[in-house]
Amino acid sequence: MTIGVKKVSLHRTARDQVFLPAILEGLLTSARHFFKNTMTKGMGDVDTIRYGEPDVDIKTYYPDRFRGVHRLMYRDDGSVRCVACMCCSTVCPAKCIYIVAEDRQDNAEKGPASFVIDELKCVVCGLCVEACPCDAIRMDTKQHMTPTERREDAVLGKVELMSRGGPSVATQGGLGPEFRAVAPQADPRFGQ
Amino acid sequence: MANSDTPSSATLPPRLPDPPPPASRTVAPSATGSVRIPEVSAAKPPMAPNLPAEPVEGQPTVRVVIDGTEVVVRKGTNVLEAAKLAGKDICHFCYHPGLSIAASCRQCLVEIEKNPKLQPSCQQTVAEGMVVHTESPTVLEARRALLEFTLKNHPIDCPICDKAGECTLQRHYMDHDHQLTRVDVPKIRKPKHKDIGREIVLDAERCILCSRCVRFCEEIPKTGELGMQFRGENESLDVAEGHPLDNAYSMNVVDICPVGALTAKDFRFAIRAWELRSTHTTCTGCATGCAVELHHRHEQAYRIVPRFDATTNGHWMCDEGRHTYKELEPSRRVRRARVDGEEVLLGHAVAMAARRLRGRGRKVAVVFSAAASNEANLALADLASLIGAERYIVGRPAGKGDDVLRDADKNPNARGAAAAAGAAKHEGELALELAGRAYEAVVFLDGTFEASDVVGSALCAITSVCLADRAGPLSDACTIVLPASSWAETTGSLINRHGRLRVLRPAWRAEGDRRERADLIRELVLAMGERDIGSARERSRAIAEQHGSSELAALVSDAKATRPTLLRFSHSRG
Ligand code: SF4
Ligand code: SF4
Ligand code: SF4
Ligand code: SF4
Ligand code: FES
Repeated sequence: MTIGVKKVSLHRTARDQVFLPAILEGLLTSARHFFKNTMTKGMGDVDTIRYGEPDVDIKTYYPDRFRGVHRLMYRDDGSVRCVACMCCSTVCPAKCIYIVAEDRQDNAEKGPASFVIDELKCVVCGLCVEACPCDAIRMDTKQHMTPTERREDAVLGKVELMSRGGPSVATQGGLGPEFRAVAPQADPRFGQ
Repeated sequence: MANSDTPSSATLPPRLPDPPPPASRTVAPSATGSVRIPEVSAAKPPMAPNLPAEPVEGQPTVRVVIDGTEVVVRKGTNVLEAAKLAGKDICHFCYHPGLSIAASCRQCLVEIEKNPKLQPSCQQTVAEGMVVHTESPTVLEARRALLEFTLKNHPIDCPICDKAGECTLQRHYMDHDHQLTRVDVPKIRKPKHKDIGREIVLDAERCILCSRCVRFCEEIPKTGELGMQFRGENESLDVAEGHPLDNAYSMNVVDICPVGALTAKDFRFAIRAWELRSTHTTCTGCATGCAVELHHRHEQAYRIVPRFDATTNGHWMCDEGRHTYKELEPSRRVRRARVDGEEVLLGHAVAMAARRLRGRGRKVAVVFSAAASNEANLALADLASLIGAERYIVGRPAGKGDDVLRDADKNPNARGAAAAAGAAKHEGELALELAGRAYEAVVFLDGTFEASDVVGSALCAITSVCLADRAGPLSDACTIVLPASSWAETTGSLINRHGRLRVLRPAWRAEGDRRERADLIRELVLAMGERDIGSARERSRAIAEQHGSSELAALVSDAKATRPTLLRFSHSRG
């Protein structure tokens, strides 16, 4: 079997040597894209999402598990679900969650007196959500942390975090007495 | 305000500990000062009926085989202790080396050859030639099944449970069970967060009915407040109506409870156990000097728990001592030196103090403290002999004592300070002579002395130097305040009521200008142009040599010995 060899001439023509036609060709291509993607309706070939413009619903573009700015969920009675177990602040690699626990004086017993996340330090890893045993902290807001003029404004407290929150209906403390019905979906080890 | 024409009670001499008999003490007002005191060996801590398995010279031993390893153990010890010697940690809940044996949890079952049934290793006494299996399939299955049984009604409150991170049940579940729940009936509900006494909150649901706490109250303080009520799965721990748990040792039940059923109000929700660092040190609450662990984080103390010491406190400590960590409150710390109410640089304050103490023919008094370390007291003794000062010794007022652990003398170092001070006058005389303006200058080793208004105004008028770690009435009245390190920042030694050397380990580095008292006094002496009296570290080394204390010697020579351990890497305490 013979292998075909293609010979490329390294000889540069006068046209190559003045460079000018090649530059003009490049400029022409850029100009074509420029006019196609800015002047035509439907934005041509561009995949960039025009973030922040009112007619663009950014959330439809994002995957379900996108990690946005944090929020704190609440119980049926509107109080915070977090029990100040410190699992999230322990696991957080950026050490940007600061919680002070207090006695809640009701059946929930323990809750956060203050719950602060420094969103500037956060590396958006989502480990805090994984660690939470109470479905109290979530990152499913699909919002980026909005830029702030002062650093302090990016340090979110319990009130701001809960203002993005919603009610969570997860059973606290496990699956509950009906676990035989729901357990196999929750954990494959139950099927064994 | 107290009326100044009648002498207030603070000027009356509170009872001071009897100084040791003069013959037995070396009075040494020199740089090579000694605080050596013969040990009193009669006093013994409340010890357990359960002796460790290590063979003791001159006592009968037996030979047992544990998982194929032959060990020689003391006769009369139990299989669980013998297994520890063979390097096998048998998982258990109800056995505690400091308490009698109940064998109620059955978690410690082991297989013993020629025995048809599994036996609780905590209750089984070793016998010659016994062959024990602690990891056979039957034993492992029994362990797993018993854990599942224990967890049947357990609420699994770990996120809100103060014991999480140091919980024996959590550890055993992870090591021996680790399976998903098979319980599909509702759990039995019992009282939660019930206030059962001065210091303790009970969560009856978390209790695994091991009865350690019940045995503790019956055997150590002998008050017997706790008891079990009801039967079967409704059995629960409680106190009798009108008889709360308020003995002087009640907080020990928090440490011995293997789960989070009994938690301390003082520590409740303060911090998670795995965030704490632990420093092995000595309690400064009274003359007993119990071995303790100080748990702290970010230069703030959170609690004090006892550490096993066979010679002094066994496994226990008193409630009063546990609250002494509050003295370390950061907001009360003296961080900078003060001269006449102005914050100044430390060097400046030391130079000022040296100049004012120096004057020819000045009448100066130095005040030793029974609450300060040997190093500090010895340094002050050197200062006193250099400037020819009059010596006084003060201490905290006496409190309650009993024959378990607490001593009525609330000073951790009364004997060491008395030995260092030599022939010193007492507190009442100091108050009278200060009020009578007998001195032009006075140096206080710490802020222990309770100054009445008369004395306070006298102190403002003369040169009064106070080496203070926290702000108090005395440091407020003194004209020069030098910032000293507290007992949690000091490498030092104390001498307890038995004449034993107790070691203080630093938990964190003193911030600001705070220095060890002995070092401050050394700087003062140097600023006076006198000879060097030696640093705190050199003194510690000398004391370690005199007393043959390897603990203190290691502390001054090895930086690693002072490093606190992170509690998350230690075993569960319980
Ligand atoms: S996302 Fe990661 S870095 Fe951000 S708070 Fe959670 S754990 Fe910390
Ligand atoms: S892990 Fe969840 S419950 Fe625990 S402190 Fe964080 S947010 Fe609160
Ligand atoms: S006692 Fe132990 S297992 Fe039970 S809730 Fe507390 S930490 Fe969890
Ligand atoms: S409260 Fe704790 S120590 Fe007392 S019986 Fe229950 S588990 Fe044991
Ligand atoms: S530890 Fe032996 S039965 Fe409980």
